[in-house]
Amino acid sequence: MSGDDLARLAELAVAVGANVQPGQVVGVTAEYDQHEFARAVAAAAYRRGARFVDVWYFDPLVKRARIALAGEDTLDYVPPWYGERVLSLGRERAAVISIRGSTVPGALDGLDPARAGRDQLPFLRESMTVINDRSVNWTVVAYPSPAWARLCFPELSEDEALARLWRELLHVCRLDEPDPLAAWDERLDVLARTARALDAARFDAVHLEGPGTDLTLGLLPSSTWQMARWETAGGIRHLPNVPTEEVFTTPDPERVDGHVRSTRPLVLADGTVVRGIEIRFEGGRAVEIRADEGGGVLQGRAAIDEGACRVGELALVDRESRIGRLGTTFFETLLDENAASHIALGAGIAFAVADEADRSRVNTSAIHIDLMVGSPEVDVTGITAAGERVPVLREGAWQLPAVHEA
Amino acid sequence: MTDRGLVDRLAELAVVVGANVQAGQVVTVGANIGQGKLARAIAEQAYRRGARFVDVSYFDPYVKRARIELAAQDTLDGVPSWYRARVRALAETRSARISLAGPTEPEALRGLDPDRLGRDQLPWLNEWMEVIQSRTVNWTVVPCPTEDWARLCFPELPEPAAVERLRREIAHVCRLDEPDPATAWRARAAELGQVGARVSELRLDALHLQGPGTDLTIGLLPSSSWLSAKATTVDGLEHLPNVPTEEVFTSPDPERVDGHVRSTRPLVLADGTLVRGLEVRFERGRAVAIEADEGAAVLRGRAVQDEGAGRLGEVALVDRSSRVGRLETVFYETLLDENAASHLALGDGFREAVDEDDAARVNRSGIHVDFMVGCAELDVTGITRDGRRLPLLRDGAWQI
Repeated sequence: MSGDDLARLAELAVAVGANVQPGQVVGVTAEYDQHEFARAVAAAAYRRGARFVDVWYFDPLVKRARIALAGEDTLDYVPPWYGERVLSLGRERAAVISIRGSTVPGALDGLDPARAGRDQLPFLRESMTVINDRSVNWTVVAYPSPAWARLCFPELSEDEALARLWRELLHVCRLDEPDPLAAWDERLDVLARTARALDAARFDAVHLEGPGTDLTLGLLPSSTWQMARWETAGGIRHLPNVPTEEVFTTPDPERVDGHVRSTRPLVLADGTVVRGIEIRFEGGRAVEIRADEGGGVLQGRAAIDEGACRVGELALVDRESRIGRLGTTFFETLLDENAASHIALGAGIAFAVADEADRSRVNTSAIHIDLMVGSPEVDVTGITAAGERVPVLREGAWQLPAVHEA
Repeated sequence: MTDRGLVDRLAELAVVVGANVQAGQVVTVGANIGQGKLARAIAEQAYRRGARFVDVSYFDPYVKRARIELAAQDTLDGVPSWYRARVRALAETRSARISLAGPTEPEALRGLDPDRLGRDQLPWLNEWMEVIQSRTVNWTVVPCPTEDWARLCFPELPEPAAVERLRREIAHVCRLDEPDPATAWRARAAELGQVGARVSELRLDALHLQGPGTDLTIGLLPSSSWLSAKATTVDGLEHLPNVPTEEVFTSPDPERVDGHVRSTRPLVLADGTLVRGLEVRFERGRAVAIEADEGAAVLRGRAVQDEGAGRLGEVALVDRSSRVGRLETVFYETLLDENAASHLALGDGFREAVDEDDAARVNRSGIHVDFMVGCAELDVTGITRDGRRLPLLRDGAWQI
């Protein structure tokens, strides 16, 4: 990594991801050891005319002390000023930039997963509020840390691992293109056509079928397909995730049946790694969750409230994804979810349903955890209200004709 | 002493003796990037004492640098509303507060335009002063040794030796080299409490400070009383606002300060600006001239920030038995340096040092900047209402 790469990644987050406007307040969430990047983001934001950059540093090792030592009945307490800050950012119509890429993977190793599952920080439920009411232009970007690089490439030396993670991140962020902005526009246009084609097909349900997976997810009558180029209520365009490769919708939380096996590991916000997940759904509820590793913490999360064990999101990713083509497991949802089709336990996406009447049926929860379930071996088929089966993804390629008409 | 040992023992001192954290309290920790090790150790100790939640907030001086360098001029004194709301919420929830002191990243703010720098006070917020005055929070400030700080104090030593020396001296001034530091602090706090009570009984009308470059008369308010180490919250929680602490202090009459004073030690402002060789002339309470060999402009910027910023809010006396003073190290950190020597503070005073009739006369300001004026050559004399002169400090020793 050169200082130039750091500055370009920061500029991408500020200019393309959040699209910071002159005069805006910018909220940044970073881990303690990501301060070098947080500083570059602050500088890029001030250069764009930000009024104030408010960096909130989260320390995974302070969280570890809490899980290890705090009283049992205090573990789900969050001081009111944490949520108030997020809601204030919404009222201020701020920009929000969250930095991912664990600096302390396994920070909670060896601790009681049931206790760890009760503390969701740095996630705050108020974030879902400001996302759903579209008051902030926000983005999530990744920043390579040495510890994260070791996790991805344990076979390489520390320097080589970090250099490779930088190279791959710059690639999937299209910063190795001569004109990254134009490259993003081109890719996002394909995703936009895909979403429109899926909407036009008006599926009643989607069927996922592959090794260990046979799952049918019902959609709501007015479920619409979205891609991650959004606009705030005030008309500011932003990319919630950089990179992004998915089209997604919010399903009917009452109509999910069958079983599903994860195709990639997932790292929870607190650093817990969950591998080899298998979930069985009945009438929309996850009635059985097991995993080769980290299953306890995931079970804890899924029991946190009524909606935590139901599906809030279904996302489809084709084989043109730069992340999928790399074949690297990043142990980071931001990247891994863009490698493969996925479902999320927890909060749904209210604006992904068109009719007011369906809004109240969208799943609600304090959590939103994405599980990767797609691969070239997983067929995705749309089912119409009349029962007709329409191929959507085969061997990872879009099957809907309209996708390919430029 | 191993690093781990010192960090853990400092953390325990901060939690148990300094803030006196109670089971069920929320504890907020204010630290800089670079002070993570001690912040985490404090979180552990606080949770062991039964804390409900430990809220560590890290301030990053390089993010501040980006703001001073790049943000629009008219935005520099703005602070988001939630910064202020959080401080008030700490008072409403009767939280504990532990702040870490000591320079980190001393280069972070170097070379910036002092006018622009003077407009951004963060991490300081005026609301902290309200919280302190309301005595709703059991709070403390403790030193956090870092490599950056060691280099600053001992530039002539190789780094490992400098780090080792800073750690040893901090352990000493924090009385961590005593068999039972908590008991040692109780004894020293009682001693300082007695001195404060005796000076208060003299019901002095004014103080006269006289030494090299200094000839200053400071009027006191009719009910000015002398406070020291130990503070008590409205809920009756005893805490030590500063660890270490060696001073007895009061709030003077902000209208009756006349003469001139020269600082005897450098001071480091909250944002890292170093001020050396400070000379201040007062007329009827107001600082009418501020000169310094270094850093004068930033301090002048602070002193005009509001009506009370150019007047005195504190006078503090420190005798030669201070462990900090006896070391003769310049720490470039007010928490330690102010306990080495008698000092004055520009800006906000202490309402709790006077009775209700005088409370409105205590100086008010958004700033509180301590500068050290004491040394062995500085004579401190009390002047009674009937004009008698009573020696208080001679050669750094109490005369009462």
